[in-house]
Amino acid sequence: MKIARFLEIARTEFRFQTRRPLFWVLLVVLGLMAWGFSTGNLRISAGDSDVGGKRVFITSQYALAFGLSVTVVLLYSFFLAVAAGMTVIRDEELKLGEVLHSTPLTPGEYVWGKFAGVSATFTLALGADLALRAFFNHALKTPASAEFVGPFSIWSYVRPALWIAVPTLLFLGGASFLLGAWTRKPILVFALPTILLLACIFFLWSWNPSWLSPSVDNLLMLLDPAGLRWLEHTWLQVDRGAEFYNTQPLGIDAAFAASRLALAGLGLASIGVASRRLARELRGAVRVRASSRKAELELPRPTRAPGTGSLAELRMSSRTRGLLAGVAEVARAELRELRHQPGLYLFVPLILLQTISISLVRVGAFDTPLLSTSGTLAVGGMNTLTLLLGLLLLFYTVESLERENARGLFSIYYATPVRTAAVLFGKALANSLVGVVILAAAWIACGIVLLVQGKVGMQLSPFLLVWGLCLLPTLVAWNSFVTLLYALGRNRYTTYALALGVLIFTGWMQARGHMNWVGNWNLWGALVWSDMGSFELGRGALVLNRLLYLSIAVACIALAVRVFPRRSFDAAQTLRRLQPRALALSTLRFSPFLIVPLGLGIALYSAVDDGFQGGRYEKLAKDYWRKNIATWKDAPKPAIVAAVVDLTLEPERGFLHTRGEYTLMNDTGRPLESFPVTKGAHYRNVHWTLGGAEYTPEDRAGLEIFTPEAPLAPGGTLQLGFELEGVFPEGSTKNGGGTENFVLPSGVVLTSFGPEFVPVVGYLDSVGVDADNKSDPKVWRRDWYEGVTKSGFGNNLPQTTKITIHAPEEYTLNSVGTLTSDTVEQGIRTSVWESDHPVNFFNVVAGKWTVKRGKGTAIYYHPGHEYNVDEMLACLDGARLHYSEWFYPYPWNELKLSEFPGLAGYAQGFPTNITFSESIGFLTNSDPKASAAFMVTAHESAHQWWGNILEPGEGPGGDILSEGMAHFSTILLTGEMRGERERIELCKRFEEKYGDGRQVDSEKPMVELDGSRPGDRVVLYEKGGMVAWMMLNQVGRANMLRGCQEFIRRFEKGPDHPVLQDFTPVIREYAPDQRAYDAFVEQWYHHVVVPEYKLEDVTRAPVSADGGWDVELTLRNTGTGTMPVEVCAFRGERFPDEPDSSKSRSTAPSDSNVVAAAEESAGAKGVPAAYRESRASVTLGAGESQKVVIHCEFEPQQVSVDPDALVLQLRRKLALFKF
Amino acid sequence: MLSIHDLVKVYSGPVAALQGVRLEIPPGMFGLLGPNGAGKSTLMRILAGLLEPTSGSAQLDGQEFTSDPRRVWSRLGYLPQDFGFYPNLTGEQMLEHLLALKGVESPLGTRKLVRELLERVNLAAAGKRKVKTYSGGMRQRLGIAQAIAGEPRLLIVDEPTAGLDPEERLRFYHLLAELAEGRIVLLSTHIVEDVSVLCPRFAILAQGRVVAETTPVEARALIEGAIFEGSVAKGALGELRERCHVTQSMLVEGRLRVRIWRQDGLVPPGFEPARATLEDAYLVLTHRDRVTHEGLLAGATR
Repeated sequence: MKIARFLEIARTEFRFQTRRPLFWVLLVVLGLMAWGFSTGNLRISAGDSDVGGKRVFITSQYALAFGLSVTVVLLYSFFLAVAAGMTVIRDEELKLGEVLHSTPLTPGEYVWGKFAGVSATFTLALGADLALRAFFNHALKTPASAEFVGPFSIWSYVRPALWIAVPTLLFLGGASFLLGAWTRKPILVFALPTILLLACIFFLWSWNPSWLSPSVDNLLMLLDPAGLRWLEHTWLQVDRGAEFYNTQPLGIDAAFAASRLALAGLGLASIGVASRRLARELRGAVRVRASSRKAELELPRPTRAPGTGSLAELRMSSRTRGLLAGVAEVARAELRELRHQPGLYLFVPLILLQTISISLVRVGAFDTPLLSTSGTLAVGGMNTLTLLLGLLLLFYTVESLERENARGLFSIYYATPVRTAAVLFGKALANSLVGVVILAAAWIACGIVLLVQGKVGMQLSPFLLVWGLCLLPTLVAWNSFVTLLYALGRNRYTTYALALGVLIFTGWMQARGHMNWVGNWNLWGALVWSDMGSFELGRGALVLNRLLYLSIAVACIALAVRVFPRRSFDAAQTLRRLQPRALALSTLRFSPFLIVPLGLGIALYSAVDDGFQGGRYEKLAKDYWRKNIATWKDAPKPAIVAAVVDLTLEPERGFLHTRGEYTLMNDTGRPLESFPVTKGAHYRNVHWTLGGAEYTPEDRAGLEIFTPEAPLAPGGTLQLGFELEGVFPEGSTKNGGGTENFVLPSGVVLTSFGPEFVPVVGYLDSVGVDADNKSDPKVWRRDWYEGVTKSGFGNNLPQTTKITIHAPEEYTLNSVGTLTSDTVEQGIRTSVWESDHPVNFFNVVAGKWTVKRGKGTAIYYHPGHEYNVDEMLACLDGARLHYSEWFYPYPWNELKLSEFPGLAGYAQGFPTNITFSESIGFLTNSDPKASAAFMVTAHESAHQWWGNILEPGEGPGGDILSEGMAHFSTILLTGEMRGERERIELCKRFEEKYGDGRQVDSEKPMVELDGSRPGDRVVLYEKGGMVAWMMLNQVGRANMLRGCQEFIRRFEKGPDHPVLQDFTPVIREYAPDQRAYDAFVEQWYHHVVVPEYKLEDVTRAPVSADGGWDVELTLRNTGTGTMPVEVCAFRGERFPDEPDSSKSRSTAPSDSNVVAAAEESAGAKGVPAAYRESRASVTLGAGESQKVVIHCEFEPQQVSVDPDALVLQLRRKLALFKF
Repeated sequence: MLSIHDLVKVYSGPVAALQGVRLEIPPGMFGLLGPNGAGKSTLMRILAGLLEPTSGSAQLDGQEFTSDPRRVWSRLGYLPQDFGFYPNLTGEQMLEHLLALKGVESPLGTRKLVRELLERVNLAAAGKRKVKTYSGGMRQRLGIAQAIAGEPRLLIVDEPTAGLDPEERLRFYHLLAELAEGRIVLLSTHIVEDVSVLCPRFAILAQGRVVAETTPVEARALIEGAIFEGSVAKGALGELRERCHVTQSMLVEGRLRVRIWRQDGLVPPGFEPARATLEDAYLVLTHRDRVTHEGLLAGATR
């Protein structure tokens, strides 16, 4: 290799690459991203969110490594693939290759020189990227950003770049180059980053099922070319705290270092292969070239004298073809060419794979797997199909438009009389047909998914609706836009750069929550499916949106036809056309194409702005907050002791009319001069009465202030009457999606938590609060819970209710209490619900249901959603029975559960009247192992006790009595009804979710938990449930349940509402060892501790004396907290997949600090004979370790820690050893 | 009639490729001769509607079409200098596609027409092969087939015989000659023989200007009696070029034979009068800056 020639090629390539628009677009995008990162919006989710709390620096090596690994795959990969993969193809298209290779230039010099040029370009880009990040982070540091920007260190930037970005870039560059040089197919070059992106996003970065073995996980970490899986699973998944991330260098282990070097080596090896391939090609050794010469040599000789006969004999004539005929002809030829595109055969299975896999891994509440229906599959596949088909159409449209140029057919093709519109439409049609074929294939794949699932039948209409009417306009609009970009830019690279820029910008807008119906051209995240009714929420906006983008597509095509580079424009003439007058005239001529999209856009914007998520409502909410926060937050208010509501529903138009009366009681202990009532922004024609007389309250931006003639005396009552009507929700959504409560034809869900159908007494803290005015949570005194604590859910006293509901007769109307009357007159059903035991709040839910009844229970569900109803009903029956036994006798007549459309994915346990979104329970994919429907029903049923019978207090440690105890109840009920195996699996799932979701710096002791910090949710639910379960094991099951019963009995009637600090003393009374109990409560409720166990130096050896085996190991607690834990040596499968294996033994925990004493339990009841185990119990404090010897009478195969999932711990998977 | 009025084309640079070309081209064959870079292909591409001129216009049978090339595309057959095809289509499929785009019809039916056209260009035997297996000459013949298809009022052929062997070139001459009856065939070439054989009239383009528009006979007549041929030593050619207008020099049997143009008859010793060829005329007319006889130019250009 001659260095001078190599350098010349590299220099030329570098000059070329750095001067093309592609490079500059990349730099602009990188600049924007660097600025975006510097705002701190993308950070490692660790640290303390409170003002002044510890934050992870965006300049830490971990944060930069995270950002770079994502950026390289999302952004660099596409630009690099085009730059590196197209170099040889470009030279071939320019007919430069043969000239170059007829010089002394060797293939090696050529290939390595080109690669060096591209590498230098992207090194420059990476350098600029880092410099821009450093500039925005440090030079433009603001007081606001100071808390998450650390001190400047060049290594913070260089080290992640060297370990994370450079190897990936080398690999991608090399692989793209090889692909382009080998195949000469641009489509394949573009397919590479697409495949990489999909593999990363949907598999390598996200696929991590709980059953995945650590060795497979380790392998995937090393295989991930971005390095993100390694980073996440090694350093980020289990939060190590802001201090660690901010001060420690990026820890590179030997395996990862080797994988990065191998990745870079793979990229360079690809260049070596490309060089050898080119050398063989030039020597004529490659089959393709040889075959063309051979074909020519073997051309059969004509059998008769050629060229005889005149042209006149052919009697030819010409006529200009019509548009449609031209379109058909162009499309026909395009399809012939497309058939030969290998990329197509790569893209299609990829798209199918993605569509299916995403459908299969969807999860609902509590991470339960979801059951697929035609509608959920159609909508679930929408985002993926939009992205993938968009990318496919981008590549195929551009290459299709470029084809005549690249093949040299341009001059002949465009000198024919075929219309430009026919060319553009014909090409678009052919490419769209590819899209349609892929959609058809995806549809078949969805059919297979449903077939394999074996529960739900296939329907065509959801696919036609979602893919036909929603997705196809997106593809048409995108195709038209890409065509226009090409027509304007007249360059494939500029088109790619701009189109990818638009995709990235769209994604960014979506991610930042700035998108609305007007801008959401691809409907990402906008569609929410319900089997109970199609797109009832925001249907008008959806139709307008589709029409808008179809009209934009028409405008794009019309403009593209005008500017399409069929004829090379003259520069001077172009300048003349750009003069103001000429430009104005052109715009005027084009205006018919602009008027429709403009009109539709304005109409849509108005609909969004006026809608319940739009600017008008936002302003009303902000005014409510601004006007009242200082005066009325925490102002005394009366309690509702009786509510009489008469509600009329017209679901077809979303209308409701309410007339009602509250009986208010002053429970504040002081005379009440005035009190606030919050009304809904959608209320119209509101009338009030106070004490039976008409009353006009003071309106303070939606907060109505009532001032009785005389202050309401303590214990005194007052009647507050109201009448209102409105459409709920009012107007369009902002960007599709769902809403929590609604009146829609497919169902009605209304609660008394908000002013949806009845006014709310008091000021609502959450209204008008967003990121701009969100404050740190309140700091509470240590003894704040002493005395009477207010209700956590708003109303301090239980109330009686009488709720009368009128609606069309086809609806069933449910509310709290007992149904005392249900009549139908003139097509209107009237149902009256009265509380047979006081309630704390109430709701109304209506639908066109079928009902299935159990033992004092009932499930109201959408006909066709019967898949899990039996399992849920059994759970409901079991919950009513067992929770009544364990906690408190169920005080109401019936426990019912009603389904509502999946516009929101939540469940709420109102007294007697639980509501489930269809995606919870009803469409949960429940299998015998997971029992997901059982789990969510058990949790929500538990709220009848933990949340309703016992209403927790307002303040830290309150909600945990609702959500944590509901999870605890679920663990108990699962063990009782589904067996030990499922109970253990459930505990492990809770534990894993807690480990993944916690934030070390933010995490507060459970007695201080108020739900306001990131990571609080997993503490509230999962840790709360698991710690209560550990408490049960600590004090003994019977003692714990007696304690729970006593606790509920003490607090069920109020007025003092309990929190965690009230709970633990009650249980203490039943604890057999109160010292141990106090230590337990202190560490788990008053501190943040989590053990993390590691097995070290594990060996096994036969013991000659008795023919048994000894297992020796060191157990280390690398976490915190002190707990007794069992170590188990075993062989065989403890719970093999047998129908009767679910009931298994449960080993009671041992709190003795035994080192060598072992319990051998082979052949215990319910355990297969093949399974044998031996255990030892150890108690370790934080950082402690201990040698353990376990004697086995069998040859052990594995060792695990805490096999019964009795101790909450981190990274349980690592506490497993296989011999 | 194809009328070209003051066509100017300036590329960015700026490079003036055409500097006010004026031509009136009647039906029949019309040759456009010129050295490389003279602006021939630019003119062809403008006339084919693929390039917008900076100024000027062109009319076909009185209809102006440079402002709206759609007016000419329906009446045009065009064979560009460089072209290719979809590699994965067969010759027949490719031609059928182009015929469909051009709207060419025949009572024979499209398939038969395609086969006949391929027969005319001696490509019928390879019609079912993919175009990517074609040699350069075969691709050129396929290009010719599409260009002559239909009844183009204007046929523009840019360097059409490049890549053709003598036999195929002859066959193409016959085709063009037949096509030239009743329509305008504009043949752009730098091969003088093509013009000599086919074109009753031709123009010479040099540096973006028409330097001559004439017939082969007139062109030869203009220099008749002023062409001399003789042998010189290789080292003496440079000196001879300084004194005379050398039109051609060639090695014949190892000797350097030189043809010079000398109107005054004062020729070096050993040079004899020779019969003027069109090539001589082309070379004399192309280098008009060396021509001192103003009358010659006046007679040759309009």
